[in-house]
Amino acid sequence: MAKKKGDEKVNQTPQSDNEEQNFDEEPNFEDPEGFVDDITDEELLADLLEQKPKESDGYENVIIVDGCPQVGPERLEKLQSVINKIFSKFGKIVNEYYPTTETGVTTGYIFLEYSNPQNAAEAVQATNNCKLDKQHTFLVNLFTDFKKYSDIPKEWEPPAPQPFKVQSDLQWYLMDPDAYDQFLVGIGTGVALQVWQNTLPEPIVLQERPNWTETYAVWSPLGTYLATFHWRGVALWAGPKFSQFQKFYHPEARFISFSPCENYIVTFSPNSDRGDDKKLIIWDIRTGQEKRSFPPPEEYVTWPIFRWSKDDRFFARLGADMLSVYETPSFGLLDKKSIKIPGIRDFSWSPTDNVLAYWVAEDKDVPARVTLLELPNRTEIRSKNLFSVADCKIHWQKSGDYLCVKVDRYSKVKKDKNEIKYSGMYYNFEIFHMREKEIPVDSVEIKEPIQAFAWEPIGSKFSIIHGDAANNCISFYQVNTGQAPTLLKKLDRTFNHLFWSPMGQFIVLANLGLTGGALAFVDTNDFTIMNISDHYQVSGIEWDPTGRYVVTGVSSLKCKMDCGYYLWSFQGKIIRRVMKEGFAQFLWRPRPPTLLSEKQQKEIKKNLKKYYSQFESKDRMRSSKASKELVAKRTEQMKKYVEYRELKAREWAEQKPRRLELRNYVDTDGLDTDPTNTVEEVIEFFIKEEQTVIE
Amino acid sequence: MKPLMLQGHERAITQIKYNREGDLLFSAAKDSKPNVWWSLNGERLGTFNGHGGVVWCLDVDWQSINLVTGGGDSSTRLWDLETGKNIATIKTNSSVRTCNFSFSANQAAYTTDKAMGHPCEVFIVDTRTIDDSLSTQDPILKWEITDSKVTSFVWGCSDETIITGHEAGDLIQWDLRTGKKVHSVKEHTHQINDMQLSRDGTMFITASKDQTAKLFDTNSLELLKEYKTERPVNSAALSPILDHVVLGGGQDAMEVTTTSTRQGKFDARFFHLVFEEEFGRVKGHFGPINSLAFHPDGKSFASGGEDGYVRVQSFDQSYFDYTFDYNRD
Repeated sequence: MAKKKGDEKVNQTPQSDNEEQNFDEEPNFEDPEGFVDDITDEELLADLLEQKPKESDGYENVIIVDGCPQVGPERLEKLQSVINKIFSKFGKIVNEYYPTTETGVTTGYIFLEYSNPQNAAEAVQATNNCKLDKQHTFLVNLFTDFKKYSDIPKEWEPPAPQPFKVQSDLQWYLMDPDAYDQFLVGIGTGVALQVWQNTLPEPIVLQERPNWTETYAVWSPLGTYLATFHWRGVALWAGPKFSQFQKFYHPEARFISFSPCENYIVTFSPNSDRGDDKKLIIWDIRTGQEKRSFPPPEEYVTWPIFRWSKDDRFFARLGADMLSVYETPSFGLLDKKSIKIPGIRDFSWSPTDNVLAYWVAEDKDVPARVTLLELPNRTEIRSKNLFSVADCKIHWQKSGDYLCVKVDRYSKVKKDKNEIKYSGMYYNFEIFHMREKEIPVDSVEIKEPIQAFAWEPIGSKFSIIHGDAANNCISFYQVNTGQAPTLLKKLDRTFNHLFWSPMGQFIVLANLGLTGGALAFVDTNDFTIMNISDHYQVSGIEWDPTGRYVVTGVSSLKCKMDCGYYLWSFQGKIIRRVMKEGFAQFLWRPRPPTLLSEKQQKEIKKNLKKYYSQFESKDRMRSSKASKELVAKRTEQMKKYVEYRELKAREWAEQKPRRLELRNYVDTDGLDTDPTNTVEEVIEFFIKEEQTVIE
Repeated sequence: MKPLMLQGHERAITQIKYNREGDLLFSAAKDSKPNVWWSLNGERLGTFNGHGGVVWCLDVDWQSINLVTGGGDSSTRLWDLETGKNIATIKTNSSVRTCNFSFSANQAAYTTDKAMGHPCEVFIVDTRTIDDSLSTQDPILKWEITDSKVTSFVWGCSDETIITGHEAGDLIQWDLRTGKKVHSVKEHTHQINDMQLSRDGTMFITASKDQTAKLFDTNSLELLKEYKTERPVNSAALSPILDHVVLGGGQDAMEVTTTSTRQGKFDARFFHLVFEEEFGRVKGHFGPINSLAFHPDGKSFASGGEDGYVRVQSFDQSYFDYTFDYNRD
């Protein structure tokens, strides 16, 4: 349509009135005689000349692929199609050149041109040193590199010093002299975030911003960064002012996961328009560089798709009948190939070693199996066959000393067309003693349905909730070196969730959900129930990283009424109730592991009494200051109120004649001020009846 | 102490009031028969039969001679307290939402709802000669409320003003000699459910659906204090002897059936008048509290709930012993 209009215009213009000028008489553009052109083109047209195409333009789009097979003209087409297939992954190839010798055989190196330098760089990064087949390995370089490397100056020039950019102190939050923890409160979906410091006696808001995120926010695993979600991608905030540290452009990213050492971040955008291979991206956090992108998973899988080893060295992903382990920093497959494991169902990394545990499902006569695999050398350090297995869940203890595999077993199986129905379920807990020779395995069997399982994070206990949903109990077991686990205690109480203190020993038993709210605070040293309380409809429980406080929350996402959070001491003493409309999220800021050696920690524990009194007096000072402030505030309020009342009392006294007049001169100011208004009533009570026989 | 449970109503309580001496307790409910009780033992003294529907409001005069009630049957009724006889019925165009005797009880005021094409109106009637003639007599004064309707009101000082509380949350003081607005403030964001005067009438407390109760000066309508909860407040009362206020309310009656009492928060909640801090709760009702009243001697209080019960609760010694820390110089 637009084009048509334009055409018409062109046709019309000669006829329009304004244009009816003299076209015949052309003005004279000739230089006058004696004119010297002393203005250079550069001076006149500097801005235009800058845009003039240069011979070197587009050089950086060109790559040279060496190490290709040398083929004659008859197989050239085949080669071209293979090359095209490999290299068009990185962008459109706009030009290609296959040099040949006089005989028509290709020389083994080819030139490819992309439409932009990014594609070229990407192609070089991804394909250099890649094997095409047994004989041929690609050697890929940017065209510009040849010039760069051939022109290396003889003299070394020291690089110019870069001006020092002040990095905000990322660890500032750990430097607090009183070791107060920080927490994040999210209000409304994608509205405001608040970062608080849990100071005594009242917490302080450190930072509050409306619309800080669009969905929710998370801390990185060591607590250095705060990640927020935006339609353009993910942003990280750090430092004392929570300034933006890094952003990752990934439209509609919905899920993220950090590597354990905070070197990398994985973002996943299930609806991204950027093409399939840009849905799952791994970034370097410090530089903000995209390290590698992956196609999305074919079917629904649980997040995180990539699971990291404890030291960020490896990350692995579950595939159909295989496990793909990648290495950092190359981001290539370990040993260039995935590990074939037919029937693999799930896996999990040890939190302390480069060992992963996986399990494979039963297949006809082959039993199910749990295997421990050491990487990078791929040695199976232990494997155990299991029979009649419906499902397995892998639980590592935080210290990596033990591994528990919860095995759902059946006694009967019925196969319908699409479904498999199990009946007569019973449950085994297979405990792997990781630190003992040959890794012995013990097993605990429970006949009742299992509601929850949790390891004590530090220590050697684990707890299980078992029984029917309405009538269950909690068992605590202890794992022992060289022995089977022993049952420590069985509590007959109905709870559906377990929350261990991150420091171990203490546990909160809770009933989450719309009808729940019961809480029990238990000391597992002697299994005393320290307190029983409730927070109606509690939807989540968060221990602070030091194990001193517990927060129970009712999120507005779960329940519309009474949203807010309660802060409890680890003994179950309520410290604060905060009701907040739209309260959605509560997260304690994590702390990195302690830098103190075990010996130093023991030393501190030994001298705890000494520190105890110091802290005690500090707390006392603080709370007395606070109560002084409160008393002062109240005194002030009372003073003001008393002044107001005195004024009012005077007014009231002045109005007394009027009041008397209104009520027929009866004084009703006090309850007993009107003596005439009382009526004396005589009430007779029947006290007792006596019968005396008179003779 | 064990509370008295006054069971006599078949439906939700709408308003309760003590007489001046506190020996009688009056209750109105949605079941058309207001009741009167001995406040000491909770025995029912009698009922006032005549209304044809919900009774929204009631008031008793200072001498405990007459009772005024207003209801959903579009009538204001006056009763002889001693006999329980209906001595006058004033027909209105729509439901009567509120009614109160003046300080002298020479006048009474009542307000009607904006409904059935009729506006919300305020009426002042003379009650000096209470008989059937009152039914046909014109009011001394009446005026229309054009914006949001009156949901509660109190008489100001010396029978010269009244202060109306509105559905939109505003408070308006009217001069009865001129029938004009004197002051108007908007401190609440939602409907004002209840207004009650302090013992001397110099202050009053409002209870609002916006989950707060507020204390105002009767003359200037100056906001003095604010008491916050997390539920709509249906009623608030000031203690006649201590610096205490009691708040009652709860989740909206419409939503109550779907929730448990634990969630509904139907407790009566005690706040310190000056410090605005909560210091106690009294449980009991299994529906929202619709009306609260302190006994004039300040030693007990009564609450009427959506559950149809009136509960009279005497304070124990610890209530009187409880003090807040501050400098008492």
